[in-house]
Amino acid sequence: MEKNNADVILQIRNVSKAFPGVQALDKVSLNVFSGTIHGIVGENGAGKSTLMKILSGVYKKDSGEIIFDGKKLENVTPIQSMNMGLSIIYQELNLINQLSVGENIYLGRFGIMGGRKGVHSNARILLDKMGCKIDTYKLVSELSVSEKQMVEIAKAMSYDSKLIIMDEPSSSLSVDELRQLKKIIFDLKANGISIIYISHKLDEIFDICDVVTVMRDGHVIDTRDVSDISRSEMISMMVGRTIENEFPPRPNCAGETILEVKNINTNKLKNAQLTLKKGEILGIVGLVGSGRTETVRAIFGADKVKEKKIRLQGEEIEIVSPRNAIDQGIAMVPEDRKVQGLLMRFSVERNISLARLASLVSFGFIRENEEKQMGVRQIESLDIRTPSPKTKIQSLSGGNQQKAILGRWLELKPRILILDEPTKGIDVGAKYEIYLIMKKIVEDGGSIILISSELPEVLNMSNRVITISDGEITGEFDPVQSSPDEIMEKAL
Amino acid sequence: MQKKSLMHSAINSVKGNLIIVGIVILIIVTSIIEPKFLTLGNFENIIRQFGVLIFVALGMTFVIMGGFIDLSVSGIISLVVVVMVSLVDPIGQVNAIIVGILIGLACGLLNSFLIISCGALTQAEALFLTYGMGLVYAALALMYTEGMTIFLSYAETPITIFNAIGTGSLGSIPIAFIIFFVCLVILFIIQRWTYIGRSIVLIGENIVASRLSGIPITKSVVFIYAVSGVMTAIGAVNLISRVMLASPVIGGAIGGGYETQAILAVVVGGTAMSGGRGSVLWTVIGALVLTLMNNSLNLMGVSSYIQMMLRGAILILAILLDRQKQISEGK
Amino acid sequence: MPTIIKKIGKRIRSLPNAFLAILAIFIVMLFSDTQFYSSYNLLDILNSNSIYLILAMGQTIVLVSGGVDLAIGGTMTVAGIITILLINSGVPIPLAIAVALVFGAFVGAINGYISVYQKTEPFIVTLGMGVILTGVAQQLTDARPISCSNPLFLRLANYRLFGQIPAMIIVMVVVVIAMHWILTSTSFGRNCYAIGGDYEVAQYSGIPVRRLKALTYVISGVTAALGGVMLSSWVNTGNSIFGSITALYVVSALVVGGTSTAGGVGSAIKSVLGILLLGLLSNAFNMLNIDSFIPYLQQALQGLIIVGILWLDSYSRKRKRENV
Repeated sequence: MEKNNADVILQIRNVSKAFPGVQALDKVSLNVFSGTIHGIVGENGAGKSTLMKILSGVYKKDSGEIIFDGKKLENVTPIQSMNMGLSIIYQELNLINQLSVGENIYLGRFGIMGGRKGVHSNARILLDKMGCKIDTYKLVSELSVSEKQMVEIAKAMSYDSKLIIMDEPSSSLSVDELRQLKKIIFDLKANGISIIYISHKLDEIFDICDVVTVMRDGHVIDTRDVSDISRSEMISMMVGRTIENEFPPRPNCAGETILEVKNINTNKLKNAQLTLKKGEILGIVGLVGSGRTETVRAIFGADKVKEKKIRLQGEEIEIVSPRNAIDQGIAMVPEDRKVQGLLMRFSVERNISLARLASLVSFGFIRENEEKQMGVRQIESLDIRTPSPKTKIQSLSGGNQQKAILGRWLELKPRILILDEPTKGIDVGAKYEIYLIMKKIVEDGGSIILISSELPEVLNMSNRVITISDGEITGEFDPVQSSPDEIMEKAL
Repeated sequence: MQKKSLMHSAINSVKGNLIIVGIVILIIVTSIIEPKFLTLGNFENIIRQFGVLIFVALGMTFVIMGGFIDLSVSGIISLVVVVMVSLVDPIGQVNAIIVGILIGLACGLLNSFLIISCGALTQAEALFLTYGMGLVYAALALMYTEGMTIFLSYAETPITIFNAIGTGSLGSIPIAFIIFFVCLVILFIIQRWTYIGRSIVLIGENIVASRLSGIPITKSVVFIYAVSGVMTAIGAVNLISRVMLASPVIGGAIGGGYETQAILAVVVGGTAMSGGRGSVLWTVIGALVLTLMNNSLNLMGVSSYIQMMLRGAILILAILLDRQKQISEGK
Repeated sequence: MPTIIKKIGKRIRSLPNAFLAILAIFIVMLFSDTQFYSSYNLLDILNSNSIYLILAMGQTIVLVSGGVDLAIGGTMTVAGIITILLINSGVPIPLAIAVALVFGAFVGAINGYISVYQKTEPFIVTLGMGVILTGVAQQLTDARPISCSNPLFLRLANYRLFGQIPAMIIVMVVVVIAMHWILTSTSFGRNCYAIGGDYEVAQYSGIPVRRLKALTYVISGVTAALGGVMLSSWVNTGNSIFGSITALYVVSALVVGGTSTAGGVGSAIKSVLGILLLGLLSNAFNMLNIDSFIPYLQQALQGLIIVGILWLDSYSRKRKRENV
């Protein structure tokens, strides 16, 4: 591939950025060429999102030079960088739910576009160009995730963007929607627009990108053509060591059936059911929105259902609240730890004791000494890095926070542990630690239900895999025998 | 080692609380200008002025720590006051007081029932629901007495308890203060060391995570509103003892009276409106600050209107300072 | 056949609760033997609620952008008092009114500055400001109602255009239309929805979030002052009793009407519905002469209606969340 400097749309030269206590970026340099799809990979904490936020104007760099489209990027605000042609689509989607599609595309430019009429007619033109049929008057709150992404892309288009950064765009998409996104990305490329594609899904990098930059610990390790690098090379560059195995050897302790769940019926789930054996890791594979989380939440009593039948060790039991589930020895690590798991301003100790708090009570009073011991126990056993058990949990890293939540549930010594995206937003090193913990749990006689969007994770850790699609359980597989494609097909 | 850290945190909280420093200065200035300030008589005066408000504020603290709010307290006061006084003759003062407290409890339970039954788990929803209920309780008070005021002094049966609370002392300590102190100790113990007390702040911090970890939501919400109702009723007893009459509008209009003052004491004391962080002790300090301010300004002859302005200003100052503290903590 | 009924049912349920409640009142009053439906009465309802409606319009844009203004009662009171005091000491009426409005803007600016630029909870800031203003009002009048010595001033609020349409209603209609227009057709208004919907997203899109949000408080202050001027003209007293009572009444009326305190949701029309609902209720009860308990039962029912509508709102949100 011929490259000359005239084709470089973005030059990043020796950019550094430090936050109190951590050097987030250390003399980072890379070039993005016009009309290429440039992937960026790296563990959490590698510096990808810091770099992106500097590009888009949310953060200020400490030193270094950024030249975009021939112009210096110095202390820009988000709106300035958008006007220069650099847009970013965040994972969390920056849209206003209460406003319409059209108004979101032209957010902040209502007057310039000629008021209501102008906004909607121009939005219509943009969407049609993308082949998107969404009604511009529809409220964003009524859209699906992939539709919202289309709106974000249209927004970027409305700024005549020459470079669009996409941060984990596929994490909530179905295979069909991902295909549609791919098509749009390739269309953009054909129109001379460059894309920076950040993703944890290495398969997509190989599938979509032309070039990939690997970052680690605030450094750029290397930038290579995608055809020039292998998956294991990429991983070892990301991690800094060769990992022979991303995963520990699969545990093999499955015994008798311990849990039978049948007839879960809600608005979303249609007769969902599953069985779980003692000592087994059961993986649930399905697209986001297929009902995986709904199923386990129904089992855990977190959501109301129309009906469900649960048999635990042969006995039929009733679970109408998380409290019931906990009393029966069922634990659940929720999907979104920030919103559903962490009590930010409380200490690590008090976060850990949360689920077992009721058992520390005598005559209404909490036995604080035992609580302290509980905290220390889990901190040691899970190697949670914290200055002290009394440190506020908000100062811990994501991985350590997740471990603390895990510790909260492990204190219960649950018979059944449900893990919903247990390694989301956690670096490869910490992930491995969590896999080892999972292995030990089942070796000690516990059972695990595992939900994960990372197919390799589910396939490598589970003894048995069930697929769910559109609220229905569609298949059951042995991950050792079956191929990933077979399994994915049933998940569609 | 422990002693040192206690000193440390005491110094830190004083440093962090410029308002206390300001009040200390005010005390010093006042005692210079008006030597009457530092007399025992004045001290008793202050303790008495502490009065009704502190009870309501203590109850309000629990509600706010849990991430909710109770705007019905003015109405509860009016209702409890009129019913209680009207029952003194028929069933005796002791029973009347018991009924009064039960009414406060009932109002609190009703508040919590409404909130739980419609799934209103945000402070804003609770705000308007309790506001509406406050209107109802206030109206019930009016309906009960048909707008008329009942005078306790005309009672034919003994009203010794009310007299004792109103003006009596045990040694040199007013009985009212003793009641307050007992309530404070009980509430502090609950808040600091019990499961329900912990549940309240856990819910105030993150109700979703708490529920998913098995913390009893319903029980906690019922508890905080019950506490608010009971404490408000105790405050009402205190009120009657001092003014010796029951007017159906004694609680003030909803939005105009006790709830505003109670929130003032809670916020000035340092409990966060968002819940999850707070203490009844802080509220006592907040109420003390406000009362001291009232007292010293009174002694110096400052008009009550200007005092009101200063109260409002202190409220704003308090949260500005709290915001500064949060920023320096790196929130 | 059943599907048509379902569709109608869905349509009815999507109408704002406040609107349905108003409809219910009108229907019930049809069966009553009162003067409710006289043009005199209906006009009077509009007239006596026009001040609340004006306050509500300012409050609407504050709520939409995610804030709340509890100081409007105090602002209204002091503005009215200032007007009367100035007129009594010889200041020409238009100038006195202008000063009062500027005062309202000034109060709003302070509220806006402290809550937006200093990032403090507007609930507390405006509550405190309301207390301060109530104190100011009492100080200015020594807690006694004052009256205006200039009869011209008193004629203002009671003036009727063409002998029929009360001046207050005209002012109110102008303000309502103005706010409706601002909220639907100006970038300022639409940006306020964005700010209330998601402050950060709005910020990243280049919307001057702090300036606009603070501006909403200025607007609220001006409408409150306007209401105060009108009130003192109408009843010829500057009274210091209103305080935060008014503010909570107005805000709850708006919430009942469908403008949310969370921000990003609401409209001038919804706010009007909310105020009118409470106003019509009051009037209907008066008409129905609810025994000798009129004022008291009325307040109880008013409270119950607020609780009822809000309870239903929360309950339907809960059902939606549960999705069963």
